[in-house]
Parts: sequence; structure tokens; C-alpha cells
Amino acid sequence: MSVIFLPVLWALGGVLQPAMNLAVWQALCQEPQVFGALRHTLISALGSTVLALLLAISSVIALYPSRIWQWLTRRLAVLLAFPHAAFAVGLSFLIAPTGFIARLLAPLLEWTNPPLWLTPQDPYALSLMLALALKESWFLLWVLAAALQQQHILRALHVAQSLGYGRLQIWLQVLLPQVLPRLAGALAAVLAYSVSVVDMAVILAPSTPPPLAVLGWQWLHDNDPHYYALGSAVSVLLMLIMVGISLMGWLGYKLLVLLNQTPSGQRWRTFPLPFKATGIVSLVVLSGWLALLLLALWSVAEQWFFPDLLPQRWTLKAWWQFDGSLLGNTLLLGAASSVIAVIVTLIWLEAFPQLSSEWWYGALCLPAVPLVVAQYTVVIRFGLESTYVALVWSHLWWVLPYVLLVLAGAYRSFDTRFEIAARALGYARWQVFWRVKLPMLGRPISAAVAVGFAVSVAQYLPTVMLGAGRITTMTTEAVALSAGGNRRTLAVYALGQALLPWLVFMLMSSLAFWQARNRRGLK
Amino acid sequence: MMLQLSQVSIVKNQQVLIKDFNLTIPNGEIVTLMGASGSGKSTLLSWILGVLPEAFQAQGHLQLNGQVLDHIPIEKRCIGIIFQEDLLFPHWNVGQNLAFALPKTVQGKTRRERIEQVLEQVGLAGFYERDPATLSGGQRSRVSVLRAILAEPQALLLDEPFAKLDRALRSQVREWVFTQVQALNIPVLLVTHDEDDVPLGGRVVELVAKEE
Repeated sequence: MSVIFLPVLWALGGVLQPAMNLAVWQALCQEPQVFGALRHTLISALGSTVLALLLAISSVIALYPSRIWQWLTRRLAVLLAFPHAAFAVGLSFLIAPTGFIARLLAPLLEWTNPPLWLTPQDPYALSLMLALALKESWFLLWVLAAALQQQHILRALHVAQSLGYGRLQIWLQVLLPQVLPRLAGALAAVLAYSVSVVDMAVILAPSTPPPLAVLGWQWLHDNDPHYYALGSAVSVLLMLIMVGISLMGWLGYKLLVLLNQTPSGQRWRTFPLPFKATGIVSLVVLSGWLALLLLALWSVAEQWFFPDLLPQRWTLKAWWQFDGSLLGNTLLLGAASSVIAVIVTLIWLEAFPQLSSEWWYGALCLPAVPLVVAQYTVVIRFGLESTYVALVWSHLWWVLPYVLLVLAGAYRSFDTRFEIAARALGYARWQVFWRVKLPMLGRPISAAVAVGFAVSVAQYLPTVMLGAGRITTMTTEAVALSAGGNRRTLAVYALGQALLPWLVFMLMSSLAFWQARNRRGLK
Repeated sequence: MMLQLSQVSIVKNQQVLIKDFNLTIPNGEIVTLMGASGSGKSTLLSWILGVLPEAFQAQGHLQLNGQVLDHIPIEKRCIGIIFQEDLLFPHWNVGQNLAFALPKTVQGKTRRERIEQVLEQVGLAGFYERDPATLSGGQRSRVSVLRAILAEPQALLLDEPFAKLDRALRSQVREWVFTQVQALNIPVLLVTHDEDDVPLGGRVVELVAKEE
């Protein structure tokens, strides 16, 4: 743990140090791009976090605990494995002027040419906001689903209903005040990601000026110390934005609690919810599947004129040109970082069973831009630039917290009496861990490996910076190609990037299923 | 004036849990429903409340005071429920939990006065501001029952409400609950495993598990 986190925190001080100078901030204010960039960051980060939360909560209010809710939560893992960059590419194929939505509308509005939409790189960063909101709503739904698995929440819902209240009112007054605090860590992680996202912003956000994170990223790469200092100041600004929005969120929560201080006994008239089930779910879930479908179509399209819904001619040419070394690198980094993360996590949980796992959201709440520069400083110091070791190490900063969050719940709810019973039979602690605990936790461990792999595959910033162009993955290639590259080749890499974590999910679920094939108690 | 279940059948995965079940509970009577685990007691309660999970298929009719409740949502049924867990909402104090149940016809300062009054009646004077988590098991039980009663239900379901209490407390809380619900003069259905829970001279209905 210390090897992964401490050197970076130490180096982070060095990255942020140039910003501790008033003159740097004055220079930043005079930069013509800064205020436009700030506007794009605020719209995309604040808008997407609020929208993701609304999408997730509306889905829960409308669906929990129905059969559709069960169906949705079972499919979340697959959606979560969808890397950010691949989803952004798929979504751009959906909302572009020659995209699928325009093609669907064309016969109705009698369009023969693509409309004059400014998507996806629209001037207000709304495309980026939408993409982040949809992608992050899956993560929030996943965290909510875990929180709602407890039977007492369902019973609390029934008790409040039996007192004469409708679903919407119960969620607002009774359940959300209980559930929201448990969502705080995940929300902060979503916000931090949205504030400092670079790969999705390159694909979907305007470039003149880009959002702050991209601007800061460009400046921190600059050899001119003036621009490096500006990049450092932007990193501090990103953190301040994050803190400011978090504070607003906290105040909003306090307001919700305050408004519910004294129940007036008023039962709201129950009406069919305006956002009835199917609408939200189709928006949230279908966007993922549609993006995947469009990536698949473009990867085999030779000729696809507007406004046809399907390509006129098909080809596998882009697939034949696929660079196998990118697949190898992606696989190697994903496998190494996820397996190491699971081993470290198991040791950590065994050593500190009572420590709250919520703290690990802390690592996910720091903006990635200055962190990656800090990682780079550490790697240079140890002479490890452009090595696999450095890349695996850098991915672990993000992979480890997610693996820990996935495993901690299952680990802590493990009935310790199994261990006591095994120890009483004369086995040492490590033997009990190896022969009893690990096999019983087979399913969550497989899930944690799959999640770790997906997180590693999605890493863009650390890979592009520490790999320095010598080690590239499908993610770095997809983002590079998005700036004017061939759509077919772009689709191939984005689809490959999306399918790889999905295949690992399938493989790990099959392994868990195989292990439990004759054991109903393990299912 | 009564709660009436007619010809209730519940099936899950083509397995019959309950078949042609009939029950009528007049006002003021507490009927005890007993049966082994898996006999469908809790499933029947979920059906009466209107929250049967979608995996089940149910037939039959439910009437309360002459009104057919079959397609009425839970919040409009006027049926109260008390589970074995007290399920006091943890983000509110005792008084706020009770205020949530109190109808809006009681307004302004009277709301607090009324709650203070009922708390005093059940030996919990001064408990308005208390955090539910700091209460003993017996005290939490009492607040939970009060909350159900304050909503003025027209029928009440008790789902093993004493199961989590220790033996000494159990009989004490039991007597107290029976006195409270009998004073309401509404039909009450009590589900339990324990024969000691049956009110003196009360009617017992046995639910038999169906063979697979």
C-alpha cells in the first residue's frame, strides 16, 4: 500500500508547489483560454454529477424492488466494464450530425444532408456532460443497489407505505436521508473524475478552449516553466472546484434533512410518477448498448452514406489491420494490476478487518491530472520510465481502491464462525485462510479481478504519460485516433477496448460458476 | 366491519404455497396465524399488504370494512404493519418518527402535544428528542407499535413482533401490545411461531406447508 500511495503523495507536493505563488495566479487570470475552460469544466462536471445522481435516484424510485430493478442491477457489471473512452466514441457515433439519432430523424424531417448540429464537440461541453452523466449513473446505481440489498430498507419502505405515504414522498423523506450518506464517497469519486477527465474530453468536448483538465494537462507537459506553473495552478483550481461543489452537495443534503425535520403528516396525493420506469431505464441502459452496437457497425462498415440506417457495403479490412501488440499490452497491464490489487487487498483486509473501506474513496477523489504528473516524477527518479513495472504501479492507484470497495463488503459479511470452527479443528490461521476462506469467497474475488481489469483497461492519462509513446494500449490508441482518424479503425480499437473487460467478466463469472457447480451454498 | 380474505391461492414457480385460504376477522378480534417455516405466513402478509414480490402469482379477494382492496396500493389500504424489527427511521428522533405517522388533521403545536401525551401514556415521558438507537429493545418496540397506531389504521398485521425480545421482556411487551390494539377495536392478524404469543382464548389458524 505504502509503495503505491506514499511516493505519489510526496511527489504531488512538488507538482503543486509552483502554484504557491500569487504571480502565477495573476498570470493564470490573464490567460485568454482560462475562463472559457472553467465554464466548460463547471458545466460538464457539475451538470454530469447532478444528472447522474438524478438518473440513478429516479430509476430507484420508479423501479425498486420490482423485477425490472433486479434485471437492471444484474446487468450493471457489464455496463460498468465499458471503458470511458470507448463509450465516448460510441456516443459520438450516436449524436454526431451523421450519427444514428440524425439518421433516425432524417426520414421524418425529410433530411437528405446531415443537420448543422455542433455535436459532439459542442461549444458548451454538453455532449461531455451527457456522456459523463450516463456513464457515471451506472456506477451510482451499482453502489445504490448494494446499499438497497439490505432487507430492512425494503421493510422500511413497506412500513412507511402502510402509514399512508406514496413512493416519491417516502424516498424523499425517509429513504434518501438514510441512503445518501452511503453514496457520498461514490459521488465524490464521480465528481473528481468528471472534474479531471481528459480522455472523454478530448473526444467530446470543444477544443478552443478545452475544459480545464485538458488545458492543465497540456501546460504540465510544456517545457516552459511559465506554462508548467500555470498547469500546477490549474491542478489546484481543479481541487478547489471539487471541494466547492462537494460543499454545495453537502449543504443540499443538510437542507433536505432540515426540510424533513418535523413531518407535518401531509400525505402527498399519489400520482403515477412522471418519469415512469421504462423512460429512464431505457435512457440509462440503452445508451450503453446502443453505443456498443454503433461501434460494432462502424468497425465493419466500408461505405455508410447519410441518411441510411445501415452501411451499404461491409468489410473486415479495419479488423485485419488491428495491431496485436496493443492487445498484448492492454491484457498484460490489466491482468498484472488486477491480480496484484486483489492480493494486496486480501492481505490488507486480513490485517485490518475493522478499518472502514470508505476511506479508499479518498484516492479516487484526487484529480488525476496532477497525480499522474506526480507519478511521472517518481518514475523518473527511479529510472523506470516507459517500463511495464511503472505502468502497472501507476494503474494500481485507481485499480486498488475499486478492488477494495468490491471485496470489502463480502469480506466483512463473511461469517467468522466458519474460521473459528476450522481453527478449533486444529488448523493454523493461514491454513484456514487458504483452505476455507478463499474458496468460500471465490465469487467476490472473481468479481474483484474483473473490476480491477476493467479499471486498468480504462486508464488513459497514466498510460499515455508513463508509457511515453513506447508502451501504448487500445485506450491510448482509441483516444489518439478520435482526433480526426479513420472512423473504422477508431471503432475497432474502441470496440476492442470495450469487449476486453467484458470477456474478462464472462471468464471470471464462468470460473466462479464452475467452482460452485456442485455447491448450492456457494451460489 | 371486518377484514375478510376469500379464496386466496398463492403460487411461486408452479409450486402452490397457499390454496383456497379463507379467513374473516371481525373488529376487536386478534387472530393468530401459525405454521412451520415455509408454510407461507409472511407471503400471506405481503399479499394482504399488497407488496407480494412479482415472482409470486396470487388469486383471491381481500375486503376491509366492505371495501374491496385487491387493486389498491399499500398506502391507500389503511392496514398497519409491525415487523419483528422495530424499523424506526434512524435519521429521525422518537418524536419525528411518531409525527410521520400522525395524520395531518392534527396540526401545529397540537402535534407535539399529542405525541408527548401518548409517549407519557406508555411510560416514555420525555422521550420525544431521544435518538431511537439509544433506546432499549422494549422501548423501541413500544415506539414502533405507537407509530403504527397513530396512523389510525383500520386493520393491523403483526409479523412476529415479539420474536426479537428476550423472554422476560416478551410477556410484558405482549400484554401491553394486546391491550393497546384491543382498545382500537379493529381486526388484528398476528403471525407467530410461538404458542405463548397467542392471546388468552384467542382464535388460532394453522397454515400447513404444501408438499412440493
